[in-house]
Amino acid sequence: MADRAKFLARVTAGLGRTEVLVPTSITETAGFEDAATAKVNADKASNDASERSSELTDQMAAEAAKAGWKVHRASNSEDAAGYIASICAQKKATSVLRSNHDVLDEIGVDLAVTTSGATVSKTEHSGDYSPYQIQESKNKAFSADIGITGVDYGIAETGTVVLHPRRGLSRLVSLAPPIHIAVLRPGEVLDSLDELFAMERNDFMSGKLSGSMNLISGPSKTADIEGTTVTGIHGPLEVHLIILTDD
Amino acid sequence: MKPLTLNFRSKAALTISDAQIQQSIEHVYTGFFNGRLSAADNTPDWEDLRTKGKAIKDHTIAHLDYYLGLLADNVEKNGGSVFFADDGEEARQHIIDLAYKRKIKTVIKSKSMVSEEMGLAEAMNDAGFETVETDLGEYIIQLANETPYHLIAPAVHKSRADVAKLLDDDYKDGDPVPDATELTMLAREKLRGVFERADMSVTGVNFAVAESGSIALVTNEGNGRMSTTVPRVHVAVMGIEKLVPSIQDLSTMLRILIRSATGQRISTYVTMVNGKRKYDEEEGPEEFHLVIMNNGRQKLLEDPLMRESLNCIRCGACLNACPVYRKVGGHAYGWVYPGPIGAIVTPVLTGLKDASNLPSASSLCGACHDSCPVKINIPRMLLELRYRTAEGSSDNNERASSAKERAIWKAWRMGMMGRRRFDIGSRIASIAMKPFSRNGWLKNAPPPISGWTSTRDFPAITASSLKSRLKKRNRGSK
Repeated sequence: MADRAKFLARVTAGLGRTEVLVPTSITETAGFEDAATAKVNADKASNDASERSSELTDQMAAEAAKAGWKVHRASNSEDAAGYIASICAQKKATSVLRSNHDVLDEIGVDLAVTTSGATVSKTEHSGDYSPYQIQESKNKAFSADIGITGVDYGIAETGTVVLHPRRGLSRLVSLAPPIHIAVLRPGEVLDSLDELFAMERNDFMSGKLSGSMNLISGPSKTADIEGTTVTGIHGPLEVHLIILTDD
Repeated sequence: MKPLTLNFRSKAALTISDAQIQQSIEHVYTGFFNGRLSAADNTPDWEDLRTKGKAIKDHTIAHLDYYLGLLADNVEKNGGSVFFADDGEEARQHIIDLAYKRKIKTVIKSKSMVSEEMGLAEAMNDAGFETVETDLGEYIIQLANETPYHLIAPAVHKSRADVAKLLDDDYKDGDPVPDATELTMLAREKLRGVFERADMSVTGVNFAVAESGSIALVTNEGNGRMSTTVPRVHVAVMGIEKLVPSIQDLSTMLRILIRSATGQRISTYVTMVNGKRKYDEEEGPEEFHLVIMNNGRQKLLEDPLMRESLNCIRCGACLNACPVYRKVGGHAYGWVYPGPIGAIVTPVLTGLKDASNLPSASSLCGACHDSCPVKINIPRMLLELRYRTAEGSSDNNERASSAKERAIWKAWRMGMMGRRRFDIGSRIASIAMKPFSRNGWLKNAPPPISGWTSTRDFPAITASSLKSRLKKRNRGSK
């Protein structure tokens, strides 16, 4: 194995120096702003999301549709639940997997799914992370017909759904089943990638950066055969975005 | 991967004469090229983003030692391990050893050019691990036992019938050719099983973030997400140049990378992982290993005139823009990186002497420079390498021009620099060409001019020069 010190010393020598030059001016990059500045930026992004909520939500709906989401603007919880039930029925789903986002409880997802005749389960280990348990939940995710999640943030510019996997939100629920349904609450839509990474930076500076983050913009796709775009190579073939109204 | 740069001419000729490949690659490259153009047009601050992207990369490379140290510290802080590899062999061996130690059976690979440099998939299969490429294009290439044709469209040269033969054992010539959707679904089914049983993944790195020890992966298919989620061991491999200082830099870099690669404003999936599964996550790898590889990049780093090539973020835009690449195809370049970026990186990494044809395979039109998201001045470096081919140091494995070639150019230079010498020279040339010319064109000239005339006519030098004709005309008009 190349020794770390030797490896890095070679890089230093390659740059024509004998010791590491710690950068002083970082104006060239987004830079290492301190925690206070990071918080100001994140608060600004978050305030922006609530103040411009209706405008950003409209933009999100339009851009998401362009990105390949089937967008449904629900007039109320019953409407959202009804839409979910109709997808389950239409696809003859037998097993549905859901995250434990609050918004799903609020609209009564479990009832909606079971009325359609499918079984529903949460992606939650309740603290049991034995290899057996992990394998069990993987199997469950790979055999589920539909995965349902909330949305941690939307990005208006690109119609992107952002998810931070954590307890109760499996990474696989939005990936393994052939259909993914995401439910978005107004006020959670950020303007662009800039605002998202400002929030991430603040999470990092305050020691709260999550283990991973997924940005999802439409169904899985490929154009690797003769340049023809086909949806659904490894991830979902069909993705639905339900946008709740502000009330 | 062993460089085969010496075969540039023969491989290029093969592709140029294959009408079917010409048609299919032109279709795809035009799509990518126009996609990038309209993405740039529809991004009002596009030039600012490029300037910012270049500044971020310039700054990072100028302090590369510092940022690599910071990255390694933070990966370890997140509970991952870091392995520094001087070359591809060291990196490959480390990953194979790790697979043995962890009793791995199935390895899924997400597209990574760095792993191509180490010839990883083949070596791991040889070592007895079922190793499967999961990007659809790479999977097709792996089944065909070939190398990628393009940085982001590896199987661009394969027709649907080719793919059908590779994916479906029962498919025979003459059967109706399945459409792209049917073939993709067939691949989905096959790869699903592999994902479910995989216990190790190897991915590339689109950007590593020094301050947080994170890595960002960009895919449209979702294989990057599968790879960072399902197997219990995740190995990410990167070249020393693939990092940015801060989390917020990702915003700029992702925008320019994705728009330049496919013309999309964002790819279907962008995944950021900060090492192994966190204690409160439902799943994710139990181990995270980052392999940071030098593999000859030292030579680019040490060389002030070539260092800029380390800014490359591997989007493939210069390939789609290059009129030469679009004709000669990806395999002609003979190593991992094709096209204009390959023409400057490959000669330095694998030796200019054997790769001297690469920097010459350009009309210096500048389309690569214009399309580069971080404004790498590729034409400047192509010229520099041409200069080294002629005048470089032979002990540095640079000078590829023969003594004969240099003598010819010396004579040419002398001939061009004196009026009398020029007149005499062109008269001799005109006489020498006479037996081979018809109506002012050479059609079948002897070597070395046959290299030209075997594919197109060469204008013969006329008996009387422009100067003498002007002289005659002026005399007549008096």
